[in-house]
Amino acid sequence: MSLRLRAGLVIGLVLFFAYLAVANLFSSEARKEYWFLPANGLRLGLDLQGGIHWVLGADLKVAYEHELDHMKGQLGEQLGEEKITPASMSVKDDRIVAELASEADASRLAKLAGDTRAVRVVVQTGTRVELELTPQWRKDVAQKGLQQVLEVLRRRIDDPVHGVQDSVVTPQGADRVMVQIPGGKADREAARNLLTVGGFLEFKIVEEQAPTEELLRAKYPQGIPEDKKIVFEKDKTTKRVLEALLVSKAPAITGDYLDDARVGFDRQQRPIVTFTFNPEGGKIFQALTEKSVGRRLAVVVDNDVASAPVIRERIGARGQIDGRFTSQDAANLAIVLRSGSLSIPVPIEEERSVGPALGADSIRSGLNASILGLFFVGAFAVIYYRLSGVYATIALVANLLLIIGIMSAFRATLTLPGIAGLVLTVGMAIDANVIIFERIREELRSGRQIKAAISTGFSKAWITILDANVTTLISGLVLFQYGTGPIKGFAVTLCIGLITSVFTAMVVTRLCFDLYPGERRVQQLSI
Amino acid sequence: MSMEIIRPDTNIDFIGKWKICVGISLAVIGISLLAIPVRGIRLGLDFAGGHEIQVKFTEKLPDDEGVVRKIVSDLGVTEPTVVRFGEADSAEFLIRFRGQDGQQGQVADQLKVELERGIGPVELERVGFVGPRVGAELQSAGLKAIGISCLLILIYIGFRFSPRFAPGAVVALIHDIVITSGVFVILGYEFDLTVLAALLAILGYSLNDTIIVYDRIRENMALHTKHDLADVLNRSVNQTLSRTLLTSGTTMLAVLALLVAGGPIIRPFALAMVIGIVVGTYSSIYIASPTLLVLERRWGVRATTSAKGSRPARA
Repeated sequence: MSLRLRAGLVIGLVLFFAYLAVANLFSSEARKEYWFLPANGLRLGLDLQGGIHWVLGADLKVAYEHELDHMKGQLGEQLGEEKITPASMSVKDDRIVAELASEADASRLAKLAGDTRAVRVVVQTGTRVELELTPQWRKDVAQKGLQQVLEVLRRRIDDPVHGVQDSVVTPQGADRVMVQIPGGKADREAARNLLTVGGFLEFKIVEEQAPTEELLRAKYPQGIPEDKKIVFEKDKTTKRVLEALLVSKAPAITGDYLDDARVGFDRQQRPIVTFTFNPEGGKIFQALTEKSVGRRLAVVVDNDVASAPVIRERIGARGQIDGRFTSQDAANLAIVLRSGSLSIPVPIEEERSVGPALGADSIRSGLNASILGLFFVGAFAVIYYRLSGVYATIALVANLLLIIGIMSAFRATLTLPGIAGLVLTVGMAIDANVIIFERIREELRSGRQIKAAISTGFSKAWITILDANVTTLISGLVLFQYGTGPIKGFAVTLCIGLITSVFTAMVVTRLCFDLYPGERRVQQLSI
Repeated sequence: MSMEIIRPDTNIDFIGKWKICVGISLAVIGISLLAIPVRGIRLGLDFAGGHEIQVKFTEKLPDDEGVVRKIVSDLGVTEPTVVRFGEADSAEFLIRFRGQDGQQGQVADQLKVELERGIGPVELERVGFVGPRVGAELQSAGLKAIGISCLLILIYIGFRFSPRFAPGAVVALIHDIVITSGVFVILGYEFDLTVLAALLAILGYSLNDTIIVYDRIRENMALHTKHDLADVLNRSVNQTLSRTLLTSGTTMLAVLALLVAGGPIIRPFALAMVIGIVVGTYSSIYIASPTLLVLERRWGVRATTSAKGSRPARA
C-alpha cells in the first residue's frame, strides 16, 4: 500500500469517528434537524444527566402462592366431582397441604395432582398429602409473573396523559425490573406511587361498621366470622383510621372487569375517578347493586377502603369512586386502574438517583479531569520525547476521538466511572508509545540506521504491547460481565480504549514517523 | 541527546538485595492481612446496603450537623451518620443510615419533608438505596468478578509463559492485590463498586510491567546461557527499568488528574489506582524477578540436573 493511500485511509477513519464524537456537542433537536449531523449519539448515564434510577424486585413468592391457590381450587373441584370431600386443604409454606378422609382418597388426590403438570407430590403419609409446584411450572409462573409486571409498568409509564415521558422499563435478571426516569425533574412521590402501587380494585358489600377496630370487634363476641375480614378507611396523609368496616373476604367484583377509568370532578369540583365496566362486569355490578340498595358498598384499593358510599339505586356499567382525593391521587388511581393490577408486589430494592445539578457537576469535573489528564500526559511526552512526543500526543487525541466516536456509533452510555475509564485509558494509551519509543532508542544506541531503528522498534514492541493490553482487557471484560449500571460504563470505555490505543500506537504513530522523517535522510531522530 | 531518566548503562543491583525487598513485602502483606480483622473492612453502600442521601439546603442553612442528625434520628432509622460535604459552610450534607423495615425507598421523601419542616427548602442531590438482597448479590458478584478475573489471567499467564515463569507472575499479582487492599483498609476507606473496578483494573495493569521484564529475561537467557542467573535477571531489570518507570509514570499522571479534578465520587477510585500503580511497579522490579530466582534455585536446577524430575517423560 502506498504511503499516500495509507495516510488517506487512516486520516479518513479518524476524521469519521471524530465527526461522530464532535456531533455529541449539538443538541438532539439540532441533530434531527440538520442532515449533516448523525441523528444518534452518545447516551449520558443518569449519574451525569440526572434522573431517577430504580430497581424493583418482583416478589415471586406471591406469584407462587397465587398459583398454588389456583391449583388448590382446581383440585378441590375435581375431588368434588368424584364426591370426595377433603377434611382440610390449605396453602402453607409454598405447599398445598391436604388432609383427607381415607387413604384411598389421598391416593386419588395424589393421582389427580400427578396428572397436572403444575404440581407434584412431596409427602404422602396415610391420609395426608402435601403438594408443591414442579420446578418447570415454577419457572413458567415466574416468567409469566415478570412479564405481566413489565407490561403493566410499561402501560403506566407510557400513559399518554399522566405517564412519565422518555422513561425506560427493562427486565434485570430473573425477578427484577429496572426503571429509569431521566431528567431529574419528575416528582419522586408520584412516580413511586404510579409504579409500586398494586392497583388491585375490589368492590365489597359492607356487613358492619364502627369507628375503630376494637369497637367493631366488640360487636362479635364469638370473633368475626371465618369468611369475613376487617378493612379500614384511612386519612390519605396521616394514615389515621377513620372507620373500620367488616366485609366478606371474597370480593363481589374486581377491577379485572374494568374497561376504562378516568379522572372526573363531582358537583363541588372535587376530583373523583370514574370507571366503566366491560359488558360482563356491567351485568355482575348491576345485579349486585340491585339487590343491595340501601347498603354500603366498599371500594377497596390494595386492601384499603377508598370510599364506602351507600347504594341509592341500581348502578349500571358506570360508576365513580369519591375518595377525598387530591387531583394527583385521582390521576394516579385512574392510570393504575386503567393499566391493570400488579398481581405481584414490586417494592423498590435499589435506588441510584441523581439530581440534575449534581449530574452537571459530575460532567464538569469529568471534563476537567480529562483535559488535565491529557495535558499532563501530553506535556510529559513532548518534553521527554520531543517531536516523537508530539506524534504520541496526536495518537492520544486520535484515540480519545475514536473511543467517543465508536461509543456514539453504538449508542453506548457514558457514565461518570466511564469518564474515569477514559482518563485512565489516556494514561495507558501512552504506554504503547513509550514501549515503542524506548525500543527505538535502544536500537539507535546499538548503532542502527534511523529508518531501520524505527521499523525494528515498532515490530519488536508489537508483541509486548499486545501482551500488556490483553491482561487489562481480561479484567475489563469480566467487569463488563459482572458490573451493573455506572460500573459497566467504566468497563465499556476501558475495553474500547485498550483496543483503540493499540491501533493508534501501531497505526497512527507509525504513520507520523512514515510522513516525517519517512524516506528523508535526517541526521538525528527527535526522540 | 535525548532526555533520559535512567541512563542506558545503569546497573543497579536489584537482585542482590532481594532478601531485604522480599522481607519488606512480606511484612507489608502481613500488616495488610492483620489490618483486615483489626480495623475491619469498611463496606460501602453497594455491598453493605442501606441509604446514602446527599441533600443541599437552598435557602436557610442548618447551624451544624447535629441539627440535621436530630431530624434524621427522629425518623426512626438505625445508625444514622451526617457529615457536611465539602467546606465548613457548605450547604450540602451527606446522610447515611441503615434500612428501615417496610418503608424502603420512601425514606428519602419523608426525610425531605422533615428537613423542610425543620430547617428550610432542601433538594435531594443524590439518593442511593441498596436493599439487603441487592447488597448481598453485589457482594457475591464482586467476589466472583475478582475470582474469575484472576483465573482468566492465570490461564493467560500459563499460555503466555513457560511453567518456569508463571509462578513469579502469580506471586506478583497476589502481592499487588493484597497490599493495595490492605493500604485501603488501613487508610479507612470504604470498598464499593468503583473501588472493585479499580482493583480489577490494577489486577490487569500491574501485570504489564511484569510481562515487559519477563520478556527481557527470556530474551537474555537465550543470549547469555553461560551467565549466572542472578546476573541475567539484574541485567534484564536494569534494561527495562526506564520503560517500567515511564509507563507507570504516565498512567500515574492520568490517575493524578482524576484524583485532583475528578470530584468526590471518583476520588476513592483514583486513590486505589494510585496505590495499585505504585505497588504494581515496585513488585515488577523488586518481587517478580527475585521470585523467579528463588524458584529456579530451589526447583529449577534440580529439574534440569536430575533426569528423574517430577516429569521424567519430558526431561
